[in-house]
Amino acid sequence: MKRLSVFIVVSLLLSFIAVPSNAAVFDKVISRWTKERRFESREGANLTVSATYYGAEYIEAYIQSEAQKNLWTENETEDFKFNFLSALQLDEMIPVNIKFVNNGPTMHLGPFDAMISLVVGNQTYMPADYDRRFNFSFQGDKEGLVYFRRFDEKTGKDILKGVRSVKIFIRTAVSPVLDGKDITFIFDVANDDPTKLYQGKSAARFETDRLLKRLDKLRKDKAEHEKQLQGINDEIVTVQKRLDELAKQ
Amino acid sequence: MKKFLAVLAVVALVAFAAPAFAANPFMDVPAGHWAYDAVAQLAARGVVSGYPDGAFKGAQPATRYEVASVVARALAKVDAEKASKQDLEMLKKLVMEFKDELDALGVKVDKLDKRVAVLEENIGGWKFNGEFRFDAKWASNGDNFNNDYAGGEGRDVQFNNSRARIHVTKFIDDNSLFFGRLNSLGATWDRFYIQTKLPYDVKFTAGRFNMDWEGDYGLYNGGENDGTFTDFTVDGFQFAKQWGVMNARLVVARNLELGTDDEGSFQTNSDESHMLYALNLHGDFNEKFRGGLMAYLMNGDAAINDEYAGDIQTYAGYFGFDFTPAVTLQGIYYMQKIDDLAAGTEDSPNLWKVQLNLKQDLLKFTSLWIEYSQEDNTFLSLNQLAGGCGAYDWSGNTFFLANRGWNNGTSKILFVRADQKWNDKWSSFLRYAQADVDAVGTDDTKMWTVGIAMQYTPAINFQLAYDQIDYGTGNVATGGSLGRNGTESVVRFRTYVSF
Repeated sequence: MKRLSVFIVVSLLLSFIAVPSNAAVFDKVISRWTKERRFESREGANLTVSATYYGAEYIEAYIQSEAQKNLWTENETEDFKFNFLSALQLDEMIPVNIKFVNNGPTMHLGPFDAMISLVVGNQTYMPADYDRRFNFSFQGDKEGLVYFRRFDEKTGKDILKGVRSVKIFIRTAVSPVLDGKDITFIFDVANDDPTKLYQGKSAARFETDRLLKRLDKLRKDKAEHEKQLQGINDEIVTVQKRLDELAKQ
Repeated sequence: MKKFLAVLAVVALVAFAAPAFAANPFMDVPAGHWAYDAVAQLAARGVVSGYPDGAFKGAQPATRYEVASVVARALAKVDAEKASKQDLEMLKKLVMEFKDELDALGVKVDKLDKRVAVLEENIGGWKFNGEFRFDAKWASNGDNFNNDYAGGEGRDVQFNNSRARIHVTKFIDDNSLFFGRLNSLGATWDRFYIQTKLPYDVKFTAGRFNMDWEGDYGLYNGGENDGTFTDFTVDGFQFAKQWGVMNARLVVARNLELGTDDEGSFQTNSDESHMLYALNLHGDFNEKFRGGLMAYLMNGDAAINDEYAGDIQTYAGYFGFDFTPAVTLQGIYYMQKIDDLAAGTEDSPNLWKVQLNLKQDLLKFTSLWIEYSQEDNTFLSLNQLAGGCGAYDWSGNTFFLANRGWNNGTSKILFVRADQKWNDKWSSFLRYAQADVDAVGTDDTKMWTVGIAMQYTPAINFQLAYDQIDYGTGNVATGGSLGRNGTESVVRFRTYVSF
């Protein structure tokens, strides 16, 4: 009983220390959206896997953290934000950064899109795209982005609408260090709203970008239709010529 | 699956090919065009089917659309078993030639599956990797020359290639894989299973696999500690299913290696004496809180030659809560019911443990794991009975609770471990364990370990560590206790290599 009391007291004291009194605000937010699991085998291998969910809160904190570190002006920060958001494709995709630190047997992850999935409610979604470097065997560090479609391919609906949490699921087959364990990371996304990111100067740049792409597509469609029209006109001329020949006979 | 991959392999090249000049699809494909022969040859060899007999054999040449239709039908039924590399090359050439017409027909040549090259590499591809560790131990003579740290037999130095393993993985298809592990200990396959997906998204495993539900949920400090109850190998079946935040696992298995414990009460005839039915219900309720229930029912067969054939039921409830990403509180409570014990023996033992885990992000210079456990001394640890490590043992030997014995007492155990990661290469650790085994006339056991490790490369790790165990004095070998006294220590240098 005495030992239990000592244990409880020590635990409580340490819990007070647990409040990070001098941790940067941004670091706190960033660490909330990055989950890490470490696995060790009795042989001596170790594998650390981390997943970073690019929620709006994380992205804002990350951008501000970079701006502070690099002493950027407002324009430079907006430029960085624009380029960063472009790479993440948040309007269509759910990006997740996966990192492996493998100090154990070689990992053979290919095809990586068969190894990782996003679980939302009762639905499991495979990646739409991912960093192809994951397909190559490795020991040591490897890190890259994995993209999942934000809108259901069949219904077109936002798969995260009304959802409280999502799960990133990685199969045990990625490493023998796991010995049958699958890896899961849970992220609470109920309050995540990526549309907040697309405001201000960035919003204008993204709209310009979108409209330019749309203009380009319309021009291509026009050229294609003109070509088809030309083909039909040529065929009309050919047929008309033949009809004229037959009429003369 | 191979057929599907062959199709993808064919269309893959098309998407990377430069866009061909869009010919009039109603143009004839001239007689003598190579496409006619190509399709005919592929059909004659049985590589493709589904194109009508007599096609392209008439006097009139076919239009591009007609040939593309035939190619599209052919692609749908490629028999990759019969296709040679040349056949695949021919198919690719056909697809490239009629790309626009196939596109118009709705064959998704534009939607390139970029994993084709990787899949081609993985078709029939076995993946190998492996590891071994080499331990050099110098032990003291403190325990009457038993020197369990150096493998017993009175020796105090041991050089031992203690673990060597080869792992084999093969993807059978998108949903199925085979995994095998050849273990140097007895040169046996101690993992040998297939995993596949059944209807209703049920994940199915069959063969020889490891059950370590405590480890799956991080309920013990990884590495050289072990589960209190689980972490053992079985031969059987596992079914796993996910519903929203919940997931369930059901195991039906045998060959639990339910061997003999220190008391000798659980002598079994090799390891085929009990059926195991186990169920785990787990909930990841949100990113902070998780919990679940476990049940293990071990039903004995009819007894053979005085072996133990009683039933053992073990139930557990567990939880984990993350106060912050760096602070976790978790615990597990076990209840057990053991049949056929001697009168007066506690046959409903309980065990519980609670853990506080502080990551190095919080304290900066170290992480900290603090664990307190209370265990009835008749609680059967299947992990330990299976010849594995005790939960708190170090260097792989089951000595920390050597003096506990088999009695109605309740052991109280405190375990603390601090890990320091100095940089990517260097790390160190300290661990301390203390057990009050609550047996008359038995001293507390204390153990501490200090070590330093160097990750020389991702494939090579060196560790130098010192461990000391102090059994106290006046302990007597009775009632299952080994009666160890005094201290024993070991210096261990470990080399770990993986590939």
